[in-house]
Amino acid sequence: MNTHSNWPEWIYVGVVVALLIYVGAEAWNIERIIEHIPSDAEIIQVTGQQWFWTFEHEDGTKEIGELHLKKDHAYKFEVVSKDVIHSFNIHDYVVLVDAVPGRVNTVWFSPDESGEFDIQCREYCGLIHYNMRAKLYVDDDKS
Amino acid sequence: MLIFVISPINFSFALDDDPGKYLNRKAEIWNLFYRMMTVAFVIGSVVSGTLIWLVWRFRESNHKAKKTRYEEQGKW
Repeated sequence: MNTHSNWPEWIYVGVVVALLIYVGAEAWNIERIIEHIPSDAEIIQVTGQQWFWTFEHEDGTKEIGELHLKKDHAYKFEVVSKDVIHSFNIHDYVVLVDAVPGRVNTVWFSPDESGEFDIQCREYCGLIHYNMRAKLYVDDDKS
Repeated sequence: MLIFVISPINFSFALDDDPGKYLNRKAEIWNLFYRMMTVAFVIGSVVSGTLIWLVWRFRESNHKAKKTRYEEQGKW
């Protein structure tokens, strides 16, 4: 019969379990907050195909290989692919979502700095994947 | 106990009804990463520290080591 006290083991297990629960809850919560789209977000249709990006604004304006947005506005990207799987990435704004044929994936962001930023495909999609790039121009409304 | 579990779940799902707020994705995601790394290193230190202490404390050559019942009887 084991008669020694084992409360330190239970405290140890409790601390580790509590930390793991915190990790799960916090990650889940932040993900929910990040995915919560503001009501005034403008929808931009993003189409990936070998090997360039096409953007269509709400007013029907189309852009190929470049995207012009306004600073401090919210934008919701609806990302699709015409051929193989691509991945839409604006590195400087931590925007990353796959473009999958037959699916519409969404992600939103609000640029808080004006300037030029790179858009790059982040899923190997064929011979010229390395050069499947576009340019994001964020314009300051005030200027 | 149920209150503590259900309340945050209700609160989180209620978010869907309100419009989202503007936020800095980069800051939110990197902050989350740093918090997760802090927790990961704390767990890593606690677990590995405990194992190191166990091995050090219960080695045969430790002067505090006691013989087990089986060792005292010379048979196991």
